Amino acid sequence: MKPIIEFQDYSYFYPKEEEAAIKNISVTINQGEFVGIIGRNKAGKSTACLSMIGIAPHTIGGDWIGNVIVNGILLDESTVGTITNHVGVVFQDAESQFTQETVEDEIAFAMCNMGIERTEMLNRVKKVAKDCNLTDFLDRSPFQLSGGQQQRLAVACLLALKPEVVILDESTSQLDPIGRDEIFSLVSKLHQLGRTVVMVDHNIEKIAQYTSKIMVLFDGEVKLYGDTREILQQKELLNQYHIRLPQVTDAAYGLKEEKGFTTLPITLDEAVGAFSNEDKKGGDISGASYSNEKSCS
Amino acid sequence: MEPVIQTRNLVHEYKGGVRALKGVDIDIHHNDVVSIIGQNGSGKTTLVRHFNGLLKPTEGTVTVDGEDTEGKSVSFLSKKVGYAFQNPNHQFFCETVKDELLVGPKNFKFSETEAQEKLEYVVDLLEIEDILTKHPMTLDYTRKKIVSIASILTFSPKVVIMDEPTGGLDEDGRKILKNTMDLLHEQGNTVIMISHDMDFVAENTNRVIVMAEGQVLMDADCQTVFRREDVLKKAWIEPPQITQLGNAVCKDGIFLSVNDFVTHFKNRITT
Repeated sequence: MKPIIEFQDYSYFYPKEEEAAIKNISVTINQGEFVGIIGRNKAGKSTACLSMIGIAPHTIGGDWIGNVIVNGILLDESTVGTITNHVGVVFQDAESQFTQETVEDEIAFAMCNMGIERTEMLNRVKKVAKDCNLTDFLDRSPFQLSGGQQQRLAVACLLALKPEVVILDESTSQLDPIGRDEIFSLVSKLHQLGRTVVMVDHNIEKIAQYTSKIMVLFDGEVKLYGDTREILQQKELLNQYHIRLPQVTDAAYGLKEEKGFTTLPITLDEAVGAFSNEDKKGGDISGASYSNEKSCS
Repeated sequence: MEPVIQTRNLVHEYKGGVRALKGVDIDIHHNDVVSIIGQNGSGKTTLVRHFNGLLKPTEGTVTVDGEDTEGKSVSFLSKKVGYAFQNPNHQFFCETVKDELLVGPKNFKFSETEAQEKLEYVVDLLEIEDILTKHPMTLDYTRKKIVSIASILTFSPKVVIMDEPTGGLDEDGRKILKNTMDLLHEQGNTVIMISHDMDFVAENTNRVIVMAEGQVLMDADCQTVFRREDVLKKAWIEPPQITQLGNAVCKDGIFLSVNDFVTHFKNRITT
């Protein structure tokens, strides 16, 4: 697999701070992966995102040790401008990113700045608006959209620049369940189409459902990084890093002995399958699918 | 007992004609811990902003502690009803957290000693000693949310409203919030929480008001509400994952927490 973002012994210090916000991390995100970054606040999640797009250190300032390599470009040879050709990021407060009077202009804005030819620009606006389900809102003000629509617009704006990596930093934390599901469905679609997706989110149930890998950060260090299912089997370790399991996984953990689970289910569908089969021991969850079968009576 | 907050046929129409509340009748009683749930735009925030006078009814009435809010100022009502905004950035204007926390006590003419006691109590409760000298806008989002709630608690309102308090909070922040809500309840306060976080709602409140399109769809205890899939569907609400699992695999009972579910299954296996 081709590495798309590589942290090499990387530490980053915010201006005037003596302690590093990210401490000597060495991890690789490969092309086409969907990585969830989890950890308590101040764990370094947002700093990691800012470093992937070069805002830290190029815009914010501060010092760094080691390197971040984005699609082959070394951090000390890059600018935010060069990295945004490869990586796009959406932050928690999408509204604060908007400057234009219509959704159409907002999507076109960054392309205008990059000097993209007009016909190409209009084609891209049309395509990303369709991909992000915004076609009906092109004439509307970005500020009149719902929270979920605003986040979709922020994603559309970055997709127009055709980045290979899409980063969402707590983009769903203020959204209602519909808005949150809209965003997860959208990025899941992007992932299926081959994009690399990095998502910081506190919603462990959604992280379990959608991501292929999880990175656990704690006090600026990467403590765990690997397959989502494998990471979510390790309750005690995750608890040490102030992370809980998805509710259904936690329930299965609590009944591990009684039900004989060897692998804990990590999604609702899997758990329904695992708990529906009353006689089954050993917890083969791989073929489980959601049903409304009532088995506890 | 007289409700601490009561609305009758409450209608609110924003400029431009958007009718955000379409005749809401609710009674909130002393010491209730209530969640108001519903999708964005359902009228939740518009409703609670009537409780401290930030909004005035277009039609109908709102009473707080038995008094009609008609003609009452925000500062008068805020002494009884504290409101922590959804976006904490909209709430801060001081240069340090400490000053921010003292705004309420100063505005309500607390004595120096009383203000200091309130400050120390809240700082200890919410574990924010280490950030007192920091500028509120430099804090991470969790700490901002905690400070926004703390700045309400320093003037001890009877009713504490928190608008989407868990949004962006990590597990540590959620535990602090839970402990704070438990303590407020023990002390006899009324707590009203607007939330999309159904896990937190199910585990920490005893009454749920479901809103959709400016109306109350249902007002009942958590177990009753999370059993009503038809109502939740209409309000675009997804129950907690453990409740969904219980609903799918269990005919009897409704499970609002992982512990409930695990205990039920363990009991069933042993009997």
